[in-house]
Amino acid sequence: MGEHWFWFLMTAAVLVWYSTVTVYVAIRGAMDIKTMLRNLAQAAAAPQEK
Amino acid sequence: MSNFNWYIDGSIVGFYLLATMIAGIMVRKYVGKVEHFLIAGREMNVYLGIASLAATEFGVVTCMYTAQNGFDKGFAGATPGLLNCLAMFIVGATGFCVKPLREAGVMTIPELFQKRFGTRIRWLAGVVIVLGGLLNMGVFLRTGGEFLVAVCGVGGTPGPDASFFQAHYLEICMTVLLLMVAVYTILGGMLSVLVTDFLQFIVMSAGMIAVTVLILTKIGWQPLVDAVQKTHGAGGFNPFVNKTMGWEYVAFNALLNTAAVLTWQTTIQRLLAAKDEKTGRKVYTGTAFFFVCRFLIPGIWGIAALAMLTPAQVGGNSLLAMPKFLSTFVPVGLMGLLVAAMLAADMSTDSSYMLTWASVIWNDILAPFRKGAWSEKRGLFWNRSLVAIIGVFLLFYGLWYPLKGDLWTYLGVTGTIYLASMSTLLIACCYWKRANNWGAAGAIIIGAAFPIAYLVLQQVWLEPKVNELGIQIIENGEAVKIAVVDRIIGPYYSGIAAYVFAGLAMVVGSLLKPESEAKKAGG
Repeated sequence: MGEHWFWFLMTAAVLVWYSTVTVYVAIRGAMDIKTMLRNLAQAAAAPQEK
Repeated sequence: MSNFNWYIDGSIVGFYLLATMIAGIMVRKYVGKVEHFLIAGREMNVYLGIASLAATEFGVVTCMYTAQNGFDKGFAGATPGLLNCLAMFIVGATGFCVKPLREAGVMTIPELFQKRFGTRIRWLAGVVIVLGGLLNMGVFLRTGGEFLVAVCGVGGTPGPDASFFQAHYLEICMTVLLLMVAVYTILGGMLSVLVTDFLQFIVMSAGMIAVTVLILTKIGWQPLVDAVQKTHGAGGFNPFVNKTMGWEYVAFNALLNTAAVLTWQTTIQRLLAAKDEKTGRKVYTGTAFFFVCRFLIPGIWGIAALAMLTPAQVGGNSLLAMPKFLSTFVPVGLMGLLVAAMLAADMSTDSSYMLTWASVIWNDILAPFRKGAWSEKRGLFWNRSLVAIIGVFLLFYGLWYPLKGDLWTYLGVTGTIYLASMSTLLIACCYWKRANNWGAAGAIIIGAAFPIAYLVLQQVWLEPKVNELGIQIIENGEAVKIAVVDRIIGPYYSGIAAYVFAGLAMVVGSLLKPESEAKKAGG
């Protein structure tokens, strides 16, 4: 680490943050897609029901 | 010789491409209106927004220029990423400009300007946004193609017996890549972009993390630091003492990244596609730190190339150092994931960018020509046609434009064509009551004039390059030439001038217009 602690800590933070966010976004993002497509399908069906 | 194995790695890449195409094409059935095509019916939620924004803002071109920054500037090359992160977090947390923009319910930034500055300014803003955006995006395809052929080991100078593929590998690679992206973007618009961005974010992130961990475990941290210290000295860690950077580099990048966070159309389109203003801001704060990853991870790959390759192996082009290094460093299997990750990065960026500039052409440049209300069917047809036309432009521009200087600076200069003026207009539009169309027109013209003049001079005003002894350098029997404008002004001062003078033009122009006339005109 030596005198370049700033870049060492930044690199460590990048790897930890990015790994965590990738897993979390993969799960929650899939749910977002499901909700988005369901809402769009409902909106498309709504005028026909009227 | 590359480690890319066409059976193992090729299968991984093929599976990824198939999954992306299926997902992208499947959602086309949900596109019934222009609003669905351009902004996904404003149904995007936070996590999908984060995945989409991150995937869009990281392409192969990003990977190449950030790795080039790492190779040429060391760790200090990641400075733009830190500045971008800071700007995005502050804007997201405070809602500066983005709150009134999202609340206005518009589809593009120029549409907001119409409310304040009138239809002519909306049109002019649309023109500079598309001009800057397309020039910026013009180098994406070639750079992506160069990365893929270098990593897969299909490059090199073709001999007299070369097959058609060997002779035209780059063009074929670019065309196939573009065609795949165009198919799902034309059919599904923003919905396809969001869904494929999500898949691409996962594949891209997995590949980037795996390759970085491999570099850090196989090469180690200290050899990377030593390589930077040996080549760049203290300037490899501190941008202010780096002889190719300095305060002007940091100031230009601070202005550039803040302006990009506020007005870069692909970023803003995520804000506008968000289901509400609060969601849009959460996407900003949640994605902010990704911009450090975006610069530091490929930067480390570039530094690893600096540590492991000899100057002869790198050749004359530092842009290709990283892919040349990875082609022999990454083992079979992981190579497939890396290529899939970079394809994912490239496809997500290309699709979003094509859609974004098409949306501005449709919504703002063509607005005066759309007499009467157009049917949704006609609107969708035109939007799809615009995406296709942009794709054709990209193919031809990417083939002939000779890139000079470093890639990040080219992107910064072309982006400034509109970032300088649009950020000025947006801030004035949201927070300065006296701002009017005179100031807006002045800011647009002045903001575009500096970077365009710089780009033109860079291509036409050349002088012979000499070595330290003053002797002209000859390569392949021809005199090597350099741009005079690079030597006497450089891109950073010209970029800073664009932002400063665009702001001044807004203030002076607005104050010059008589207040009575401004009130009469309503802006």
